[in-house]
Amino acid sequence: MNQQDKFHLRTETTEGKCTVYVSGEFDLEVASQMRAAMAPLIELTDRELILNLKDLQYIDSTGIGILVSVLKARHASQASFSVEAIPPTIRKLFDMTGITPFLLRHS
Amino acid sequence: MKAIEEVVQLHVPATAEYVDLVRVTLYGIAAKMGFSYEDIEDMKVAVSEACNNAVLHAYNHEAATSSEERRMHIEFVKSPHALSIVVQDNGHNAIALAEAPRTSPLLGKSIEDINSGGLGLYLMQALMDQVEVLSEAGTRVTLTKRLVRSEELA
Repeated sequence: MNQQDKFHLRTETTEGKCTVYVSGEFDLEVASQMRAAMAPLIELTDRELILNLKDLQYIDSTGIGILVSVLKARHASQASFSVEAIPPTIRKLFDMTGITPFLLRHS
Repeated sequence: MKAIEEVVQLHVPATAEYVDLVRVTLYGIAAKMGFSYEDIEDMKVAVSEACNNAVLHAYNHEAATSSEERRMHIEFVKSPHALSIVVQDNGHNAIALAEAPRTSPLLGKSIEDINSGGLGLYLMQALMDQVEVLSEAGTRVTLTKRLVRSEELA
């Protein structure tokens, strides 16, 4: 496997905003790592939670399923969650599944 | 005219770590056959979903003590006008793969009602030209994509 294909996750926290940058392949293999990383961030309800997908190369239904659970948890605690910089191949899958409108930032 | 089929097989442990190897192999075969970038991307997701199912079947198989029961078998069947990918697992407690849903389980619902169950199966259906699921001893999923070339090479 090329190093660039591996999954990486980096969190950047600023005042009122927490941005998670994910890169590589977001699939079944990294599901538990991603769930564990997101769990404490979901609890930070006073901050905006943003997932940046600029360098994401691949996502499957496991990854989309995790996005759905983050969406539901944030919605239940009336906190925001959105996804930004979606690459075209991934946007196509989001559109197919119908998740896109839930992920885009509502101003 | 005689249709020539060529078969490439992979026999790997049914674990999540091997699904990307299946994707890389698929990429190599499909690119060489002349599939478009977009079609290859579609197939990558569909094949991974089928492999994910096989991996989950193996995890769920309580008596999967022999390594043979925790393996998956992938067959790439190349024909002049299509590529079929067969993913076979040996899980006896296979999660029933129902009829593939025609619409996404996330479509047109509110956040409270959305649920990602069935999403993998929906994606396979939506991304491939043909999907066949056979559950007997284990589960066998056959995914087919027709080869459409933008220009026929001489």
